[in-house]
Amino acid sequence: MRVVLAEDLYLLREGLVRLLEAHGCTVAAAVETGPDLLTALLAHRPDVAVVDVRLPPTNTDEGLRAALDARRQVPGLPVLVLSQHVEQLYARELLADGTGGIGYLLKDRVFNADQFLDAVRRVAAGGTAMDPEVIAKLMRQPVRNAPLARLTPREREVLALMAEGRSNAAIAQQLFLSDSAVGKHTNSIFTKLDLAPSDDDNRRVLAVLAYLNA
Amino acid sequence: MAGMIRSYALAPLRLLALALLAVAGLAASVPLMASVAVVITYPAAVGVCRRLTGFSRRLALAWGGVAVETPYQSGSAPVPAQRADGWYEHDGQLFKSPAYPRFFLRMKWLSDDPATARDWGWLVLLAPLGAVPALLGPLLIVAGVAALAGAAGVSAAAASGSEAAAGGGTWSWLPTAATSWGGVLDGRPTWLAVAAGLAAVAAGALAGPMLLRAHGLWSRYWLGHASRSWWHTSGFGEWLRRGGHDTWKAVLLLGLSLTGFAVFALTLLLTMVSGGFGIAWISYAVRPMMNQYRRLCAKWGGVELPDPYRPREPLGEPGPDGRYRVGRSLYATRDGAIRAGFFPWVLGDPATWRDLAWMATAPLVALCAVLPGALIGVGYFGLFWQALFWPLWGLPLFLITGFWVSPWYCWQLLALAFPALAAVPGWVSVPVGLLLGLLGVVLARPVLYTIVGWALLLLAPGRTARLSERVEHLAQTRADAVDAQSAELRRIERDLHDGAQARLVAVGLSLGTVEQLMDRDPAAARELLAQARETSAAALSDLRDLVRGIHPPVLAERGLVDAVRALALDAALPVDVHAELPGQPPAPIATAAYFAVAEALANAARHAGAHRVGVDIRHVGGLLRVTVTDDGHGGADPARGSGLRGLRRRLATFDGTLALHSPQGGPTVLTMEIPCVLSSPRTSTS
Repeated sequence: MRVVLAEDLYLLREGLVRLLEAHGCTVAAAVETGPDLLTALLAHRPDVAVVDVRLPPTNTDEGLRAALDARRQVPGLPVLVLSQHVEQLYARELLADGTGGIGYLLKDRVFNADQFLDAVRRVAAGGTAMDPEVIAKLMRQPVRNAPLARLTPREREVLALMAEGRSNAAIAQQLFLSDSAVGKHTNSIFTKLDLAPSDDDNRRVLAVLAYLNA
Repeated sequence: MAGMIRSYALAPLRLLALALLAVAGLAASVPLMASVAVVITYPAAVGVCRRLTGFSRRLALAWGGVAVETPYQSGSAPVPAQRADGWYEHDGQLFKSPAYPRFFLRMKWLSDDPATARDWGWLVLLAPLGAVPALLGPLLIVAGVAALAGAAGVSAAAASGSEAAAGGGTWSWLPTAATSWGGVLDGRPTWLAVAAGLAAVAAGALAGPMLLRAHGLWSRYWLGHASRSWWHTSGFGEWLRRGGHDTWKAVLLLGLSLTGFAVFALTLLLTMVSGGFGIAWISYAVRPMMNQYRRLCAKWGGVELPDPYRPREPLGEPGPDGRYRVGRSLYATRDGAIRAGFFPWVLGDPATWRDLAWMATAPLVALCAVLPGALIGVGYFGLFWQALFWPLWGLPLFLITGFWVSPWYCWQLLALAFPALAAVPGWVSVPVGLLLGLLGVVLARPVLYTIVGWALLLLAPGRTARLSERVEHLAQTRADAVDAQSAELRRIERDLHDGAQARLVAVGLSLGTVEQLMDRDPAAARELLAQARETSAAALSDLRDLVRGIHPPVLAERGLVDAVRALALDAALPVDVHAELPGQPPAPIATAAYFAVAEALANAARHAGAHRVGVDIRHVGGLLRVTVTDDGHGGADPARGSGLRGLRRRLATFDGTLALHSPQGGPTVLTMEIPCVLSSPRTSTS
C-alpha cells in the first residue's frame, strides 16, 4: 500500500513513517507543507494519504484544504486526516462529497498501532474512519432531525459505530450481537434514512453524513 | 312590529342618554385624572376608566347592535421575583415586601397597554365628540315640538293678545323658545310652521336607530382593537401623541430652567453678601437637580449627557510636621483639611461654572417651549375644540336659561385682544385652530431639541473632563484586563500542574519501572507499558481541553465565523449561524467574541429554556456586532449572573459593549459590539 504522509513535526513524521513501513506500507512521499502535499498527492496518486490538519506555511488548516483540493481533482482519493482536536465542522466538510475514503482521527489514535493501521486500511479501501470523539459529541446532543428520530436506541448505537467506520462484524463483536442481527439493524437504518439500495460502502457513508447533518 | 316601534320610540331617549353619559364621563375624567397624579390611586383610576369604557362597549352592542371587542392586554400583570437574599428589586431599589414592586409593575403594565391611553382619549375627547351628532335626533324632535308649540303660541297670541310667554315652572323655556320661534315665524303662514315642526319630529324619530348604530360604529372604531382604526395603524395618532408629549416635556424643562435661574439669582445675591462662599455651597447643593435635568434631557433628547463633575481626590497623608496640605495652605487637623479642601474642589471644577452659565441663560432658551404649548392650547383646545364641544353645553344652556353663548366665543375673546380679527367670520376659528394646533405639534420636537441642545452645549462634560473620564475608564479596564489575565494564567498553571504534568510524571515513573522489569517479568512490564500509553493519552486529552479554553484551535485555523459554526455544531440546541464578515477581526477581539458567544449559547441552553438560537455576526460602521437571539422565556437579569458581568468586563477592554434585552416571555437578544477594523481574509498567521 503506497502512502503519502504530511506532517510538519519532524519526530512525529519519522515515527509515522517507521510505523507505516513496519506494517508493510510504502511511504511514497513524506512532506511538511500544504503546497508540497498537494503536489505530492497529484504526482503519486497514493492508495491513501495521511495528513495533519495544521501545516505550514500559514499554520492554519492548510493540510485539510490541500487534501480537499486534491480530492476535487482526484475524486475519491482516500485521505486520513489527523489532528490534535476533532471538530464536527471539519468532519462534515470531509464527508460532504459523499464518496467515502475518508478518515478523521485524533493524533492520539496512533498510539494504538493496530487500530490505527486498521483505520488506514479501511480508508484506503474506500470506507470511513471517524474518531469516536466526533461520534461521542454527536451522541451528547438531542436528536435534531426527523429521520434520525425514527431510529430505535439500538439502531442509533449501530449507526454510531458505523459512523466510526466499523464493519458489521466489528459492530457485532462490540455490541455482543450476531452478524445477522447487525445486518438487520443496518438495513433498517438505511430504510429509515431513505437511502436507496446501492453499493453498501457508499450507503454507509451516506448514513454517516445524515448522522452528521442531524 | 311592536319591537320596531319600541326601538324607534326609545332611540331619541337612548341618544340623549349617550350624550349625558359622555358629559358624565368627561366630568368623571377630571377627578380620575387627578387621582392619576396621586400615583397610588392610579390602578384604581384605570379600573374605573375601564369600567366606564366597558359600559360604552356594552351600550354599543345593546343599543347600536355593534359588538366591540375588549382590546386590553391579556394575562395579568407581572409579579416581582424574589432575590436570593430575600429582597424584592424594582428599578434598582430593594424592598422588603413584594407589595411595592408589585404595585409598580402593575402600574407599568397598565400604563404600557396602548388601550389604556385610548380609553382616556375616549372619555375626554371621543365620547363627547361622538355625542354631538347623536344629539341631532333628540334636537330635531325638540325643535319640531318647539315649532309646533310656537305655531300654537302665535295663534293663541293673535287670538287673546295676552302674553303667551308668561307661563312659569319648569317648562318655562318652552314658551320662551316658542316665542322666539314665533318671532322667526312672524308674518309667515302658521301651516308652514306646523309642517316644518312635524317634519323635524318625524326626521328625528326616524333617524334614531340609524344614529344609534352610527354611534356604535364610532365606539368600535376607537374602543375596539387598535388595528381597526386608520388613526392608529397609520401612525398619525402616534405622531400627534409624540408631539403632545414633546410639548409637555419642553414645558417641564422650562419649569426646571426657571428654577435654575432662581438658584442663579440667589447665588448672585449670596455672593454679593458673603463674598463668594455661597457659590461653592449652592452650586454643590444643586448638583442633584442639575443631574436630574441632565437625565431628563438625555432621555428625551436621545443624547448622552453624563455627570461632568470631578471626583474629589482623597486627602493625602500629613507631611513630616503632622500637618495636611490643601493647595497652598497647611492644616493641623484632618477634618479641617477636608472642610477647607471642599472649596478648591468645587470652585476649581469647570463644571461648576458651566452650571452657573447654564442657570443664567437657560430660561431664555427654554422660553421657546411656550410656543408649541400656546399654539396647542389656544389653537387646538381653544379655537378648534371649544367650538366642537360647544353644542354639549351651549345648547342646553340656551334651551334652559335662554342665555346664548356663541360657539365662537374663544375667537371673540381673541378679537378683544386683536381687533383686526373681528372682521373675520367666527367659523374660520375652527380650521384656523386646527392648523395652529398642528403647527404646535410640528414645532414641539425642534423646540425640545433646541432646549436639549443648549443643555448639551453647557452641561455636557468639557474636553478636560471627558479626557480625565476616559483615562479613568482606561485605567479601570486595564486593571480588569491584567487581573483577568493573571487569573487566567493561574488557572492554566493549576490545570497543567494537576493534569498533564502529573500524568507525564506518572508515564516517566512507569517507563522507569518497565526498564527494570523488562528482563525479570516481561508480562508485568507489558501491562505497565499499556498503562503508560493510556496515561499519555489522558495527558493529551487534558492538554486538548486546556487549549480549547485558552484559544480554541478552530479559531486559530479558520477565524471567528467558522469557530462559531463549530461551536454551533457542538451546542446542545439547534443554532443557526448567519455571518457577513468580509475579513477577520484582530485575534484578541475574535477570541473575546468567540467566548462571549460560547457563554451566550450555554446560557440559552441552561436558563432560557430555548428551542432554537440564532447567531448573527456582522461588521457595521466600524463595529463588530454579534447578536445572539433565543426563543426562550426571557426575563434574564443582566445584574444577576457573574457570566454576563465577566463578559462585559472582557469586552470593555476593547471598548466593546454588551446589551441584553430580555422581556418576560422572551425572546432574549444579546448584542455585543466591539469597535475594530477587519483585516483582509486569510492573511493571519498564528
